[in-house]
Amino acid sequence: MTTPGLQIEGLTVRHGAVTAVSNASLSAAPGEVTCLLGMNGAGKSSLLRAIIGLAASDGAIAVSGRDISQMATEHRIRAGIAYVPEGRRVFPGLTVAENLLVAGPARNADRQERLATVFELFPQLAQRPADRAWQLSGGQQQMLAIGRALMARPDIYLLDEPTLGLSPRVIDDVAESLARLVQTGAAVLVAEQNAGFAAHVADRTILIQTGRIVAPSGAA
Amino acid sequence: MTGMHLGRDRVTLIAGGVALAVYATLFASSYDQRILTLSGVYVIMVLGYQFIFGHSGALSLAQGAFFGVGAYVTGIVGSQFGTGFLITFPLSIALATLLAAIVAAPVLRLASHYFALATLALNQLLLVIAVNWESVTGGANGIPGVPPVILFDWQVGRGLPLLVFVWALAAAAMLIAHWQLRPSRVSSFTVMRETPLAAPAFGIEPGLLRFRAFLFSAAFGGAAGALFVHTNRVVSPETLGFGIMVTCLTMTVVGGRFRIAGAVIGALLLTHLPEWFRGLDEYYLVAVGFLLLAMVVFAPNGLAPLFLRAGEPSRLSKTIAGDIEPPAKSTAGLVIEGLSKRYGGVRALDGASLQVEPGEIVGLIGPNGAGKTTLANLVTGIERGDAGHVERASANLSVLSATAIARSGIARTFQTSQLPDELTVRQVVSTAAVNLGSTAPADKVVNGALALCKLSDDADTHCGTLPHGVRRRVEIARAIAGDPGVLVLDEPAAGLADEEQRQVADICRALAHAGTAILLIDHNLEFLRTSVTRLACMDAGRIIMEGPFDTVLADPAVRAAYFGMADQ
Amino acid sequence: MFAAQLALNALALGSAYALVAIGFVLVLNATTAVNFAHGESVVAGGFAAVAIAGLLPAGIPGIVLLPGVLVVTALLGLIIAGVAYLPIRSRPPVSVFVTTIAFGIIVTNGLNAVFGAAPRTAPALVGSGAVEFLGVTVSLQSLAIIATAALLIGALAFVLQRTQLGRQFRACSQDPEMARALGIRLVRITLLGFALGTAFAGAAGLLLAHQFFVSPSDGGILILKAYIAVVIGGWGSLRGASVGALLIAVFEVGVASVSSQPVAEAMLYIAVLLVLFVRPEGVFGEPQRVRA
Repeated sequence: MTTPGLQIEGLTVRHGAVTAVSNASLSAAPGEVTCLLGMNGAGKSSLLRAIIGLAASDGAIAVSGRDISQMATEHRIRAGIAYVPEGRRVFPGLTVAENLLVAGPARNADRQERLATVFELFPQLAQRPADRAWQLSGGQQQMLAIGRALMARPDIYLLDEPTLGLSPRVIDDVAESLARLVQTGAAVLVAEQNAGFAAHVADRTILIQTGRIVAPSGAA
Repeated sequence: MTGMHLGRDRVTLIAGGVALAVYATLFASSYDQRILTLSGVYVIMVLGYQFIFGHSGALSLAQGAFFGVGAYVTGIVGSQFGTGFLITFPLSIALATLLAAIVAAPVLRLASHYFALATLALNQLLLVIAVNWESVTGGANGIPGVPPVILFDWQVGRGLPLLVFVWALAAAAMLIAHWQLRPSRVSSFTVMRETPLAAPAFGIEPGLLRFRAFLFSAAFGGAAGALFVHTNRVVSPETLGFGIMVTCLTMTVVGGRFRIAGAVIGALLLTHLPEWFRGLDEYYLVAVGFLLLAMVVFAPNGLAPLFLRAGEPSRLSKTIAGDIEPPAKSTAGLVIEGLSKRYGGVRALDGASLQVEPGEIVGLIGPNGAGKTTLANLVTGIERGDAGHVERASANLSVLSATAIARSGIARTFQTSQLPDELTVRQVVSTAAVNLGSTAPADKVVNGALALCKLSDDADTHCGTLPHGVRRRVEIARAIAGDPGVLVLDEPAAGLADEEQRQVADICRALAHAGTAILLIDHNLEFLRTSVTRLACMDAGRIIMEGPFDTVLADPAVRAAYFGMADQ
Repeated sequence: MFAAQLALNALALGSAYALVAIGFVLVLNATTAVNFAHGESVVAGGFAAVAIAGLLPAGIPGIVLLPGVLVVTALLGLIIAGVAYLPIRSRPPVSVFVTTIAFGIIVTNGLNAVFGAAPRTAPALVGSGAVEFLGVTVSLQSLAIIATAALLIGALAFVLQRTQLGRQFRACSQDPEMARALGIRLVRITLLGFALGTAFAGAAGLLLAHQFFVSPSDGGILILKAYIAVVIGGWGSLRGASVGALLIAVFEVGVASVSSQPVAEAMLYIAVLLVLFVRPEGVFGEPQRVRA
């Protein structure tokens, strides 16, 4: 029996002697925005990094019912996850188009087709495909980072504080683009400390505090 | 434990020394004695190299240059002017050290590979000069006829006398190294190497420490070069060649970068290996390359730890003093006025002003990127502001170095704890106490800080194995080891369990009660509520509100900035 | 006339140096590691040319050796990566400095044992003649060096700019962790960087080994020149490294033409120290935001 979306069961993340996340269980369903709300240092980033395989962890992580917790990062990506990190981390020296293409599939024709789709969804990016990413504003870089995740056509999106350092108007744009991701039928898991934003976009909210999921108590 | 190892180590060292002496006097042929003499020369060179490559952690490729300078000074002055050892030897050391002091300005502040390549360029420059300035250096053939060592009227003959003489000097070099590398100095080097960002907070002046290490490496290198030409009686460009540098590097890596015994083991081994592996012929140096490679990959600390177990012995008494109360003091508070700082186009600080009085705990909150850590960095001199100033007791702190600010009594902790893994809690605190120049006896200060931070049970645990919550308290103990009047804590409660947060709050209150002015940066409102006397909120580089805890939190601007919710 | 010939000599030398410097930057960008065995890789390329030429009939043009030299040195690069970089990539950078120095010692002394310490020469690329052009006598070798280097650099630029592999390579050099988070295999890119970078060094060895000879101990000065080129041109920039390499060649040919080779070499070392002294901000590379 496969459950669509993302299921996490008893996940613990340690950095050396420090336990960043302890025994966290949660899920994110397709077609929904799930918000992981917590303060700075609560363990949100560690949790997302553990899901994508950038941080070592114990516990079960399932994508559409398939356990990926023992896989290398590149295989987790192929299993259908995409990651939009804190601080956006676009490749500053690559052009807008290159930032998108580099995240695309192996076949050139597929890459170009998906590039066109992303440009359709984000007209701002389509206007300046040959500009270097560092020339973009913070909001545009955030769109680029989201577009880059879209290039993989994943079933699950992980976004780490997408509103950080953005002005209210741009934050609205981010909220709108999250809605578009959900419309593709994907599950969207957003880590946030901005409670207002979370209340605005989330279908479901999970609270995390000092590495533990505190609400809802039966989050999974 | 440590004491037992020390005892065993002493036996190992004495047994090794006796075996070496017996071999040298009774069994070694004159050729063997020559090899042993060269070992002694290399011991001195490697001891020097340990200062810069081991303790400072900087890959210098100029150790061969200093060796060569020592060699050529003795060779040229000795053979051309017939000057005796008592003049040429000190002169060799002095000129090598002088060269190090001169190139230190451009070279020493370079990090990592820049330092390595700059020192390599220095070595190559000297080599080109030695080969081409024939009238002085004898060109590619060098200068033969270097005189033997003559002390007053006694000529140190070849064979056993020279062997004993060189090893006597090697022993002297070991004593100097031992005296220089006392435990607190070794710990200071460790801090500089492992957590460079925190070095000033420990009261360590990294530039000075590195400079001194560089000079010692040069002095030892120059001495070794001088003895090398007395042994060979000829000086040639070989002394400046990359081969000698590689030999020194390999000896240091094989023996061990940190231990005096490592220099002896490395030098003895690498001078004797060619004898044991004569069958390899010209492939011998290929084997040396493989040895160096394999040591770095499989045994990065060298062979010394295999023979000697003891770590750095702690010389401070282990009794924990009874008084937990920090000493009361009459000190001045902290005045921050109009502090501004830009990064490129971003205003991280935009005219922030704040005061913290003695005995007061001021909490500082604000959203990510509001400039809280930048403020802490500017107050403690880790970064320089563009405008505004920081004052304490009407002294302007903005012009001082981070180390000078720390020594003047402004201590801080870091958001990500900056503790070298390999030091014990006690070593961390005592290193800070010694370097910050606390006036009270170091033992008392260290034990007091450990007791106050409830670390007495963990005093001899290595920081690398400590859980997060304990590391936080070690940071605080380190910060108060210099008996500061002002304490800046950057998110001391982040990631702590409730009980651990209470402990940190208790420590803060005890310190404030004794008169310390505390600036407490944190996100955790529950923690702040129990700790602070006053709260300030930052947004976009400014203090937007300060006052009593509840008043600040009730303020609409604070709510909008901090909680991201406009009161609609 | 004389000036034009000097300029052409400098351009030829600079083209070869550019290959060395670009190879150095390729490894640097793929790993952020400084490969101290890079100079020895140039030497290895020169000796690979000498060895392969020995297996072929005499009088064969050197350009025929290029594919063989590229393959041999690319393999050497994979070995450097596998032995001296990958096992210790998570350790402090100084460890990689020392292991690559050790690898250089192995190469130098291995070549010394097999070929002897004396300088050797590789065949001329297309022939030893010269052509007269607008009254300037131009050596065929110089022209061939420039053409070969241009071809290799052009091919590299195409791969890096126009292919998915090239995009992945550049993404890894800008933010390796993020590249990994997009599913790019970092180890593969690392190996590619070492193979390509060392092959470029090897090609330079072939180009230099005819006119300037090659001996096992040349590695030290070659790495220094590559390094200076990279420091002048901006840490990590391929275009900058090429420009830096040309400047070094102009400097060397210019100073040597009015004084002597040793003086040119000594001045170059002094120049390094001066550059590091007066322009540390252009030299300190990646600016690190203090996050205390």
